[in-house]
Amino acid sequence: MSAFASSISSILDHIISSIPLFKPELTLMIAFVCSIICSLFVDKIWKFSSFIITITGLLISLYFLLGQHQLFIGQSGFFEMIKIDQLSILSRIIISISTLCITFFIQQRFSNQIRPIGDLYAVLITATLGLHLLTLSSNWLLIFIAIETVSISSYVMVGYFSKTKFEAEAAMKYVLFGSICAAVMLYGLSLIYGFTGNLNFDSSQHIQGLIEAPKIMCSMAFLFLLTGIGFKLSFAPFHVWSPDVYQGAPTPITAYLSTVPKIGALVLLSRLLASWTDSPFYYSEFLTTITIIIAIATMLIGNLAALKQKDMKRMMAYSSIGHTGILLMVALVYVQHDIDVLLFYLTIYALMNIAVFLFIDQLEQGIGSTKIESYAGLGKKHPLLFVCFSILLISLIGLPPTAGFIGKLLVFSKVFEQYQVVNEVSLLVLLIVGALTSVISLFYYFKIPLQAFLRENQTVVDLPKFNIFLISIAVSISIIVVILGIYPSLLLNFLK
Amino acid sequence: MPTLSLLIFLPLLATAIILALPSRFKDVYKYIALAITAVQLVLAGMAYFSFNPTSTGINTLAGYQLVEQLPWIRLDLGTIGKLEIDYLLGVDGISMPLLVLSTFVMLMAIGASWNMKKSLKGYFALLMLLNMAVIGIFCALDFFLFYLFYEVMLLPLYFLIGIWGGERREYAAMKFFIYTLFGSVFMLLVIVGLYFSVINPLTGAHTFSMIHMMNPDNYVAGSIFALDGYQEIFGISARLIGFIVLFFAFAIKVPIVPLHTWLPDAHVEAPTPVSIILAGILLKIGGYGIIRVCFSIFPDAAAQSNWWLGLIGVISILYGAFNALAQKDLKRLIAYSSVSHMGFVLLGLASFTAEGISGAMFQMISHGFLSAALFFLVGVIYDRVHDRYIPHFRGLATIMPKYTAYVAIAFFASLGLPGFSAFIAEAFVIIGTFNSASLGTGLPRWMAIAGSVGILMSAAYLLWTLQRMFFGQTRLKGGDSWNTALVDLTGREQLILFPTLALALILGICPFIVFDQMNASVINLVAFIQQYN
Repeated sequence: MSAFASSISSILDHIISSIPLFKPELTLMIAFVCSIICSLFVDKIWKFSSFIITITGLLISLYFLLGQHQLFIGQSGFFEMIKIDQLSILSRIIISISTLCITFFIQQRFSNQIRPIGDLYAVLITATLGLHLLTLSSNWLLIFIAIETVSISSYVMVGYFSKTKFEAEAAMKYVLFGSICAAVMLYGLSLIYGFTGNLNFDSSQHIQGLIEAPKIMCSMAFLFLLTGIGFKLSFAPFHVWSPDVYQGAPTPITAYLSTVPKIGALVLLSRLLASWTDSPFYYSEFLTTITIIIAIATMLIGNLAALKQKDMKRMMAYSSIGHTGILLMVALVYVQHDIDVLLFYLTIYALMNIAVFLFIDQLEQGIGSTKIESYAGLGKKHPLLFVCFSILLISLIGLPPTAGFIGKLLVFSKVFEQYQVVNEVSLLVLLIVGALTSVISLFYYFKIPLQAFLRENQTVVDLPKFNIFLISIAVSISIIVVILGIYPSLLLNFLK
Repeated sequence: MPTLSLLIFLPLLATAIILALPSRFKDVYKYIALAITAVQLVLAGMAYFSFNPTSTGINTLAGYQLVEQLPWIRLDLGTIGKLEIDYLLGVDGISMPLLVLSTFVMLMAIGASWNMKKSLKGYFALLMLLNMAVIGIFCALDFFLFYLFYEVMLLPLYFLIGIWGGERREYAAMKFFIYTLFGSVFMLLVIVGLYFSVINPLTGAHTFSMIHMMNPDNYVAGSIFALDGYQEIFGISARLIGFIVLFFAFAIKVPIVPLHTWLPDAHVEAPTPVSIILAGILLKIGGYGIIRVCFSIFPDAAAQSNWWLGLIGVISILYGAFNALAQKDLKRLIAYSSVSHMGFVLLGLASFTAEGISGAMFQMISHGFLSAALFFLVGVIYDRVHDRYIPHFRGLATIMPKYTAYVAIAFFASLGLPGFSAFIAEAFVIIGTFNSASLGTGLPRWMAIAGSVGILMSAAYLLWTLQRMFFGQTRLKGGDSWNTALVDLTGREQLILFPTLALALILGICPFIVFDQMNASVINLVAFIQQYN
């Protein structure tokens, strides 16, 4: 007892000294509490209160994040639980900015709902907090907590507005699928903890334990682990939930689900692959091979299944599965610790998806449908909207002169470089599949401009009333996508 | 004066003006497009006649003229090294004539769209965007820039065919897009591979500059496309694979048999001006790409595989001609004749002789405006009666004498009648192919003979069409209403056709106008490839 008592002051000192590292997250926690209080009491008086609190919280957290840039690089806190590095700072900045966009999206879209949406903001903050933790840590315990925080918040968001049977079904599927994946992942984690006696995945003790562990059990544990991450990233074969959920959830929530959680999960996966595949042991090879196979399968399944879709949101779900394949390629090449390619692709991906969903949502509001066919002939009535929409889709395909092209080019370059180093044919196959799926993706992405510009409108549709604010966000994102396509240095230099 | 930048970005200015002008000025759009394109033609023409014919081009930047070089994207990519992308433009004897041709054909296309009615704003904006991309392709010497323009070209074309096209326009537009994109995504992989294999000797950074890629000294030892030839992909030499991938990317555009099937569909469904651009410019991008990229960057692989290129050329010549014989749709017939005529380009290029390559270049120029004229002529009757089936017309000569005269001249010019440009082109290709066996560059003599058979065939299908449609008793499917609708050529139409056909005659009599400018570059190219033979 006395031994403990003597160390308690040093422990406390450590915790107190770690607090500055945790400022952005602490801000989010405070914002969360304030937001709940506001939604309970203040919203009746002033209905914007919880929204303002959320925005302020996110902005303050962003401010602290930008401040961390010079101060805390390379430091760790809370007994190695969190680590601040360039990747974690920049990815959290991307997460926060994307969440800000989504918050405005939700506010504009649901402000006329009868049901108060104050709670939704609180949930959004929790999810952001979870994602922050995900990018900060290499400790399995904290990672699991973070993943669950994000998952549970996502379940709530999907089910929050469910009115129809269809929406309720989507939420239910999501919860069931998510909890099972989490359980499997936890089992995998317990196995790994058993082998290594250590929870920090980039520590040497951890690596040592993995080397000594029986091969089959260790591989099993990896597969279990990938189940949990696979659910968040929705790669094959854990992608089946996403089309139903994307279609069933309200569009702003879909926009959120398809972008922000993927950023967190990908950062985690990249760190994991980087620390585990560096060594010359069998599990490193196993993990690389598995990831390559998953990436190929995900790209093929996502893009091929998207071909048949008639609903825009469902198509975007498959499209984002396809993009997950590319993201996995990025994670694979992160081994060399080049964060700019990873972050560039993530930023572009988030921007494109958010803008596309903004357009989808506005069109859904106007014409009451997300069927691709319902866009027929609208291109002539709303040229600006559909030209920008088409630019985003061109960027999603990866054609110049858009940022999507630069992103793909950088990713392909990295994979190619890796191929030159290790001379692994599977990497070449990965590249070829990546190129091939870009061609396939042309078929389905171009259904939208095809309907909008090439088809004539059969029935007279009332001119939808658009939300100017949201449309202008989406339009500016499309312009940014083109500018970054011509001058990628603008963003890449920032991501250094 | 940055002539090339002006040439590239003037159309973009036109696009901006057209988009900015409100729709009530919609009659002004065509004048803006016309004015800008005319300025382009003048600029390109001035550049052409002030072009120094002794510059060798191809593999040294010093051999290019009107060079503009600006650093564009500079990125430090950590382990990959520095990324170096330049805004690098320049012309040599290969690109200069094609540049003039493009502006000329573009002007024809604007003339052909004079009576366009449907959504003019979008139409002219897209046409000018296409104009920019096409000129950019011929000027770019940085592979990244080249690829950028190459892909940007697809988008306006997709919409031009898809919105203003015929009945099956969606299918045709998509087919065209998919074919080209299929070629170009794999080209992107090769570009990435080249990027890792080549460094700029001045800065030590990896580079996208095509000029650096052409110099064997710039290849990093042990890199994927290094010239030591040890690198293999799937058991085949990596350089050969790279060459083949690039070749197919451009060959789809040429187009070669069996990758030509997009062409008849695209032509038939496209509106007349777009057909003109497709045949007059876009097919040439294929040929140009083969010279600039495939032959110059992979000369060793090219020297190794030219027998196959020649074979593909011969097959395209004959297959295209046989198909043309069987067509009932006049536009489809011309489309297949394009396949056949572009086969000569490939055959000439594959010969690796100065005559053959000059002939191929000349064929591109000659076919450029002749096929444009032919598609324009098809457009003339289609505009009037919305039909172009050969059996539906007979004896047009009596009701449309001027039109018949122009058609006859255009037909005779394209079938290679001496005195017209196509004759010079095809004769040089045949001579080059024939000499190839004596010079040891690898094409057998029977290919030259097969090429001559192709000329004979083109005479057969063109003259037969002439006979079926224009001579004999006037009999039209639409009866009297067609008879009144089929008025003879208007002044505007003659204004477009006359210079074109006059050009065919002038170049047929004075081919040195083109040959002089490109000779030094062609000889340099031949010598450049010869060292690997």
